[in-house]
Amino acid sequence: MEAFEASRRRSTSASLRLALLQFVADPQWLIPSMIAPVIFGLVSFELFRGYGPYFLTYAILGAGMMSMWGQTLYGSGWATGQDRVFGTLEPTMQAPTPYLYVVLGRVIWNVLSGLLGGLIVYVVVVGAAGGPPALPDPVAFVVLFLFVMLTLAAVGVVFAAFYVYTRYAGFIQNIGEFAFYVGTGCMFPVVLLPFWTNPIALFFPPTWALDALRYASIPGYVGFSWGFWPDLAGAVATTAAYLALAGSIFHRVERHVLEVGNLADY
Amino acid sequence: MTEAAVPRASFGRTFWTNAIFAPRTTLGFMRIDFVLGTIFVIPLTQMVFFTFVVQLSGGANTSVDGLTQLQFTALGNAVATVTYSSVFSVCQTTDSEKQQGTMEHILVSPASRLALYFGRGLIPILISLATVSVGLAYAFLLFGVPVSASALPALAVSVVLTAFAMVGFGLLLGGVALYLRTSIILGNIFLFAGLLLSGVNFPLSALPGPLQYAGYALPLTWGLAAIRAAVLGQGLGSLGVLWAAVAAAAAISFGSAIALWEVFERRALATGSIARF
Repeated sequence: MEAFEASRRRSTSASLRLALLQFVADPQWLIPSMIAPVIFGLVSFELFRGYGPYFLTYAILGAGMMSMWGQTLYGSGWATGQDRVFGTLEPTMQAPTPYLYVVLGRVIWNVLSGLLGGLIVYVVVVGAAGGPPALPDPVAFVVLFLFVMLTLAAVGVVFAAFYVYTRYAGFIQNIGEFAFYVGTGCMFPVVLLPFWTNPIALFFPPTWALDALRYASIPGYVGFSWGFWPDLAGAVATTAAYLALAGSIFHRVERHVLEVGNLADY
Repeated sequence: MTEAAVPRASFGRTFWTNAIFAPRTTLGFMRIDFVLGTIFVIPLTQMVFFTFVVQLSGGANTSVDGLTQLQFTALGNAVATVTYSSVFSVCQTTDSEKQQGTMEHILVSPASRLALYFGRGLIPILISLATVSVGLAYAFLLFGVPVSASALPALAVSVVLTAFAMVGFGLLLGGVALYLRTSIILGNIFLFAGLLLSGVNFPLSALPGPLQYAGYALPLTWGLAAIRAAVLGQGLGSLGVLWAAVAAAAAISFGSAIALWEVFERRALATGSIARF
């Protein structure tokens, strides 16, 4: 049992280390996932300009979340897709350590680099605005921002399982990008969307976490009617559910692809 | 056998071969599911995203260049989605050639580069036309952008010219990418730069001076201006100037693409570094 745990820890740390080394060897790869968030942040800031002091917070939060989405989900999906192309997915899946622990190392790195991306977005948008946003409680903002990262990572782990299963990772990422931004209300409250979309949005932990973060950082914010604490509880519950499901989904996906034997097809 | 007698692929054959094969091989995102998603899903979600940002600001009904801010943004994003098929996927052809190991074969072949380039651009031009058309349909039907039947012919001319200019720009970036390790970064920059610099979401005049000049260097800026002018039913006098600007942007892009290809091709052959990526 101890040997298994050691192997899993080693797999995760080796995967994390490799992701870090690949980033250091070629840090330009941060740019593709940074371009869209920075530009969307600047465009939103310009559209919000003159309409109130707290819209800068909307722009920063939205763009920061996009950056993290890019790093967390794109990174996870991209890595699995590259494994498939390079022919390393099969040997990795055949190894005694579950693939989840390999992905976990990548997701941890993607979360860290996503934080770096979020910081870059913050600096650029604040630079364009000429000053930082008005935050009633900066500490709560930072803590909740980190929590939003965790909720995104939880989504990232579950998506990564499907990336093993599907050859449509690129399609999901590219076509689904704006849909995810709209659905989770990354730049505006989900309550602005038609009501029928709200239950769907609530399946995603970042929807809850972002609403809570806005309640904490934007005075007069009108989000879900239940307010900050239920938002936070919902975010914790859905994140826990995602993380709990991730192991089971990975296990099933691994079993299935090994049975079907079509892992190398792409 | 003299050099003149060596059989060479005709311009037409090279053109059609590239037109048919490029979408299946080197043009990223050219699988049918990607194409349908690019045409039908991306324009809608992108327009919804930015129009909700406008609604949140409370300035949806502010007047901007003859339209409300909401209509201005919806129309701008309907046209801007053309960059996915015209710039991003076309720009990536160079990467694909390098990764698949076919770049060296192309460089040593006697095929006409002009035919090769125009051939590759054919399908992206058609997809770009479809993307803009669907985006405009969303703008008219879902976002209340006003258009009269009499404006449709001018609109069609503007859309076709914009599609050509944007694909030319994609090929130009692909030419630059010949010299770079990868085109993905270049593709990503110009995929989204238009949203900020081309007057997609707000008038160019809202930008600082240097950024306005950068915007005027992008074909999307002129294409978008021509499409907006057509939608607003402006006369042939002002439309003609904008069409000339879009056509010039297309000609400059295609010409520069071919010139760049020749320069970097010579350099790559001299240094033997073409396969690096």
